[in-house]
Amino acid sequence: MDEEYDVIVLGTGLKECILSGLLSVDGLKVLHMDRNDYYGGASTSLNLTQLWKRFRGDDTPAENLGSSREYNVDMIPKFMMANGALVRVLIHTNVTKYLNFKAVDGSFVYNKGKIYKVPATDVEALKSPLMGLFEKRRARKFFIYVQDYETNDPKSHEGLDLNQVTARQLISKYGLEDDTVDFIGHALALHRDDNYLDEPAKDFVDRVKIYAESLARFQGGSPYIYPLYGLGELPQAFARLSAVYGGTYMLNKPECKVEFDENGKAIGVTSEGETAKCKKIVCDPSYLSDKVQKVGKVARAICIMSHPIPDTKDSHSAQVILPQKQLGRKSDMYLFCCSYAHNVAAKGKYIAFVTTEAETDNPEVELKPGIDLLGPVDEIFYDTYDRFEPCNDHEADGCFISTSYDATTHFETTVKDVVELYSKITGKVLDLSVDLSAASAATEE
Amino acid sequence: MPSRRRTLLKVIILGDSGVGKTSLMNQYVNKKFSNQYKATIGADFLTKEVQFEDRLFTLQIWDTAGQERFQSLGVAFYRGADCCVLVYDVNSMKSFDNLNNWREEFLIQASPSDPENFPFVVIGNKIDIDGGNSRVVSEKKARAWCASKGNIPYFETSAKEGLNVEEAFQCIAKNALKSGEEEELYLPDTIDVGNSSQPRATGCEC
Repeated sequence: MDEEYDVIVLGTGLKECILSGLLSVDGLKVLHMDRNDYYGGASTSLNLTQLWKRFRGDDTPAENLGSSREYNVDMIPKFMMANGALVRVLIHTNVTKYLNFKAVDGSFVYNKGKIYKVPATDVEALKSPLMGLFEKRRARKFFIYVQDYETNDPKSHEGLDLNQVTARQLISKYGLEDDTVDFIGHALALHRDDNYLDEPAKDFVDRVKIYAESLARFQGGSPYIYPLYGLGELPQAFARLSAVYGGTYMLNKPECKVEFDENGKAIGVTSEGETAKCKKIVCDPSYLSDKVQKVGKVARAICIMSHPIPDTKDSHSAQVILPQKQLGRKSDMYLFCCSYAHNVAAKGKYIAFVTTEAETDNPEVELKPGIDLLGPVDEIFYDTYDRFEPCNDHEADGCFISTSYDATTHFETTVKDVVELYSKITGKVLDLSVDLSAASAATEE
Repeated sequence: MPSRRRTLLKVIILGDSGVGKTSLMNQYVNKKFSNQYKATIGADFLTKEVQFEDRLFTLQIWDTAGQERFQSLGVAFYRGADCCVLVYDVNSMKSFDNLNNWREEFLIQASPSDPENFPFVVIGNKIDIDGGNSRVVSEKKARAWCASKGNIPYFETSAKEGLNVEEAFQCIAKNALKSGEEEELYLPDTIDVGNSSQPRATGCEC
C-alpha cells in the first residue's frame, strides 16, 4: 500500500471482480482489497469447514459428509442463462479460458401441488400436462410472435408498439389462460412477481426470447449452465483477468476504511495503518454502510442431501420455480440444486437451496413450502440477509457502490448493475458484443 | 472406446515476487527474456507441446499473474495442478526461506490426494547476477532443504542466460506426466462457452 491508484475496489464479490477486470483491461491502475482471506465476498462458495464456521459457529463438520475441500457451497445460488448477459461478459473478456461449464439438467415449475418440467423441446411441450390442447395452440401462436419479434424490424411487430402496450394487453390478444400466463411470466420470463403485467411488454418479450435462445444454445434440458466447482469460481476468474492486466490484489485486509477529504470526496483507503490513495472507490454495500439503504431481505435455506430433488427425473442439477400465486405470496420461491456432478459436493451428495424475497422474520416457516419438496435432508442451514442499494451521490464523493444480490435464479440483474456501474465509473458504454481478445488481436497486427 | 488419455497437464509456478517466475516460463516457452522488471503484467498461462516416449501432450504453465505479492492467490489457481514449481532467487535469502511457506500453502490449497508424494521441483534462479558474487544461498543448503522435503528435484538456472531452463522444465514435464497419469481423472461432460456459434431456435419453444 502507500501507493496511488486510479481505482480502489473493496470486496471481491462477483460484481466487484468483473469491474476490477474491466477497469484493468482499460489500463486503469487498480487495487482490489477484501477483508476475507478468500475471494467472492457475499457471492463466494464455501467449503464444509467454512460453512460450519459461518452457520454453526464451530469448524467441525459431520464426518460422514466427506472431505471439506470437496464442497463448494454457493452463498448466492444462481444459474447462468446460456445466452444471457453474464455469458456475454465472459466471452467479451475471454475469461472462459479459466472456467469449465456444464448444462443444467432441468428446469421445473410448481403448479397446484406438483412439480412439472418446463418443456425444453416441441415434443416435450406437446406432452406436457401444464396446458390443455387448445391452450397449446394459442400459446404456440404467442411463442411464434415472440420468436419472430425483432426490435429493428417493424414488420415483425404486427402493429403492436411493445414500448406502449402492456404485457397484460399482449397476452390478452392471444387469449391465454391465467395458468399459462403464470407459467410464461414466472417460469420463462422469470419474473418474481406480477408487476410486469402492467408494464410495457418489451421487457417481458425480451426475457422470453433470452429463455428460448438460451435453451437452443447448448440444447440441454434447460436454458442454464453452471460452472464446475461452483459459482465461487467466477469472481476468481475475473480477479485473475484483472491481475493479468496489472491489478493488485490484497486479501485478508481487515477494516478497509475509506478516507474522505474536507469536501466529502473519497481520497483513499486505510487498512492496518497504511493508506493507499485513489481517485475513485468501487465497493459492495458492506464497505460503505452509511451510504446505502435497505431495500429488502432474502430468506434462504441451504441443504445437504443424499438424493436429487424428488420428481425432477433424478436431475443432478435443477431449478424449481414456485410462482407466488401458487403459494399465496408476493414473490416467487426458488429451489436450486447442484451436486457432485458439478464438483461442488462429495460423491453422492447434493446441495439444495430454497430462496425467496423474505416477507416475514421467520425463514423456517416461510420457506417450508419449498423445504417440503426436498424430501429427506442430511443437514440444513437457515439464513436471511438484507439487500441494500446505494443512496450516495457518486459524482460528489467518488464512491460507486453495487446493489446487493437479489433472490433471482440467474445473473441478468447482476450484469445490469455491473454495466451501469461501469458507465458511471468510466463515462463509457460497455459494448458486450465486442470480443476483447479478437479486438486486441486485431490491434497487434 | 478406450478411456481417454490425459493430454493436458497443469503446472503452477510459485515463489516470492521478483524471483523470476515469469521470465523462466517465457524463456522456456518463448526463448525470450526481458530485463525490465515490472511486477508481473500480462503473464497468464503459457502452453507448450512436449513429447515423451512417442506421446505428445500439452504443458499448461500457470503464472501467478502477480497475485502472490500480497498472498492473494485463490483456491482456483491451485486446483488440479499436476506439478508445483517452487522458485527462489539465489541472491535473496528471504525468497529461499519462504519456499517452505509456499510449499505448505500449496498443500493446503490444492489438497492433493497423496501429499507425501506430490511432485515438486525447486528452481534457484538468477545464478548469473554479478558473476555469482552476490549469491547468498549456497547450493549445498538448497539441496539439503530439498532432500529434507522428500528429495525434491533441484535446478539452478539463469532465465536471462537461458542456463539450465530446458533441463528444469524437462524434469517438471516428466513429473507432471507421472502425477497426471496416476490420478484417476473424472472427466465431466463440460460445454464450450467460448464458442459463440449459435444454432437458430426452431419451432415452438413451449
